[in-house]
Amino acid sequence: MKLAADRVLSLLLLGLAAFVAVQAWQLQVPFSYDPVGPKAVPLILSALLAVLAIVLFVRPGAGGEWPTGALLLRLVFTMAVLGAYAALFINLGFLVTTALVSVVIAWLFGATPVKAVVGGLLLALGSYLLFTYGLGISLPTGSWIEPLLGSH
Amino acid sequence: MFDFLIQGFGVALTPLNLGLAFLGALLGTLFGALPGIGPINGIAILMPLAYTLGLPAESALILLAGIYTGSEYGGRMSSILLNVPGDAGAVMTTLDGHPLAKKGLAGPALGLSAVSSFIGATVAIVGLTLFAPLLAVVAVKFGPAEFFALMIFAFASMSAMMGKDPIKTLIGAVLGVLISTVGVDSGTGVLRFTFDMPELYDGIDFVVMIIGLFAVSEILLMLEHAFRHDQDGEMAPIGRVMVKMSEVMYCKWAILRSSVIGFVIGVLPGTGASVASAVAYTTEKRISDRDNTFGTGDMRGLAAPEAANNASAAGSFVPMLTLGIPGSGTTAILLGALMLYNINPGPMMFREQPVVVGGLIASLYIGNVMLLLLNLPLAGVFARVLQVPRWILVPSVAILAFVGVYQLHSDLMAIYLMLAIGVFGYVLRKFGFSLAPVVLGFVLGGLMEENLRRALSISGGDVAILFQSGLSIGLWIAAALVVLVPMFAGKLKAKFLPAKVS
Repeated sequence: MKLAADRVLSLLLLGLAAFVAVQAWQLQVPFSYDPVGPKAVPLILSALLAVLAIVLFVRPGAGGEWPTGALLLRLVFTMAVLGAYAALFINLGFLVTTALVSVVIAWLFGATPVKAVVGGLLLALGSYLLFTYGLGISLPTGSWIEPLLGSH
Repeated sequence: MFDFLIQGFGVALTPLNLGLAFLGALLGTLFGALPGIGPINGIAILMPLAYTLGLPAESALILLAGIYTGSEYGGRMSSILLNVPGDAGAVMTTLDGHPLAKKGLAGPALGLSAVSSFIGATVAIVGLTLFAPLLAVVAVKFGPAEFFALMIFAFASMSAMMGKDPIKTLIGAVLGVLISTVGVDSGTGVLRFTFDMPELYDGIDFVVMIIGLFAVSEILLMLEHAFRHDQDGEMAPIGRVMVKMSEVMYCKWAILRSSVIGFVIGVLPGTGASVASAVAYTTEKRISDRDNTFGTGDMRGLAAPEAANNASAAGSFVPMLTLGIPGSGTTAILLGALMLYNINPGPMMFREQPVVVGGLIASLYIGNVMLLLLNLPLAGVFARVLQVPRWILVPSVAILAFVGVYQLHSDLMAIYLMLAIGVFGYVLRKFGFSLAPVVLGFVLGGLMEENLRRALSISGGDVAILFQSGLSIGLWIAAALVVLVPMFAGKLKAKFLPAKVS
């Protein structure tokens, strides 16, 4: 199993090398005085990568332990939370999204619900104050709040 | 010849820059000490801060360098107290540091490591002051062909010396160079690997790359640790954080030897603290471990890697400031930071940017003293940071990552890209890759291609230009030697050692 991981990796890398080579080959190069052009380096790299991938296939090293089951789910969920953070960051604003995300992540990392909520809220508020007043960074306030403020 | 240093002290001693050096030292120590966040992660996470503050180049660099050297100090805490190295460079510190803590000598161990770090860094900073201007004079003679050969040498020494798995080191470097080819090709204006996404036309942004690769992947790794409950063992009581003069004198040769080793390895492009501390530790073990006390809490076994660690951190500034080639993964990040300021690191930097170079070197002297003064009395306070629960730490890292990228780009694509790179970094780390070669490849890749193409434009496509000057031939030979010698040395050892034992 451990050996297999590196073999799978080497096949993936071979695929990547082939993809890079094809992509580079298709570049349309206008006339230029540059004798090397934009193709050469990617092509050399893909050849190098292919050779290294084959060496890796022949002599695979010890792969790490891979996450399965519940852990994998948690990892995917964490990435989803971060993705949602990104998606809502501008529209909902820094304060709201950061508070939500901090609470969820704190809970994912084993905080009790009360601790997660209190900690998350404090983190969001504290970092907001630090960034806007301490460092003078303008963070998104959120499009929903602007009509409430009646400024625009 | 030391005008730059005098000028540099003038820069570094302004109140703003003094304050920043102190802030960097403090933040660096704190971040280096945070569980799971070593020096390189610390810098990656804090780098955007330097931009948010809107600092001039030399001030930003002083702050970042303070964070860098500070995090090398902080990294030892979890190694000694918990037996958990913050990064690869701190692994050797655990070997004798943690046994010392178990013996009830945690405080003296912290004190000794602070003193050894201070001496190591001092030796290396003096070395930097002496050698960098000399090397800068030679570096002016470097043309594109020599630079190309130099980068090949950097990659060669990196693959030969870094990590247990040279193939993966090389693959990581190639991947890094490949990532650097994304975007508009500067020579011809052709779009490479942009897949019709306008966001990629400018290439993959350095900050996005670094934060994704280190901070986001770190979040995933920490989740894994939390899930598996590899809770770090009981923290040893610290006691007096003072090291006796007699203890330092006992280690003096170990410290001095390791400082020199650390400096030399730090200067070699591509190799950093992890190699330096490993070489220093094994050398010291060979020279002075007469009673087999190394590994059981021998003070020299702690002093050696700690001195080497910090010496290599300062040493890796030599190639960065004179040639524009980072000496380690962490200086690669600093180099990228310089480029964001439109300062092209390289041989001309000493002449064109004496304020930046001198200010940085002077601030290293100042920061080093500050770190010693901070770390001796306050080690007990910093050690509390080790107990910050992950459920506070992780959201904070996520917030820093998001704000860091957002305030540079105000762009959602950049944040998504950062997350994608984070997953990529996580997968690489799970496969046993170290991320430093990827960063080095990413930073050096663009320079390498540019120099290769410039050289071949000069020669009209004739490859012979790469091997024409004495300098470049020397570099090619050196590159071959770094790769070949360890291979043969291994074989020779296998041949002679059994005979010796029998």
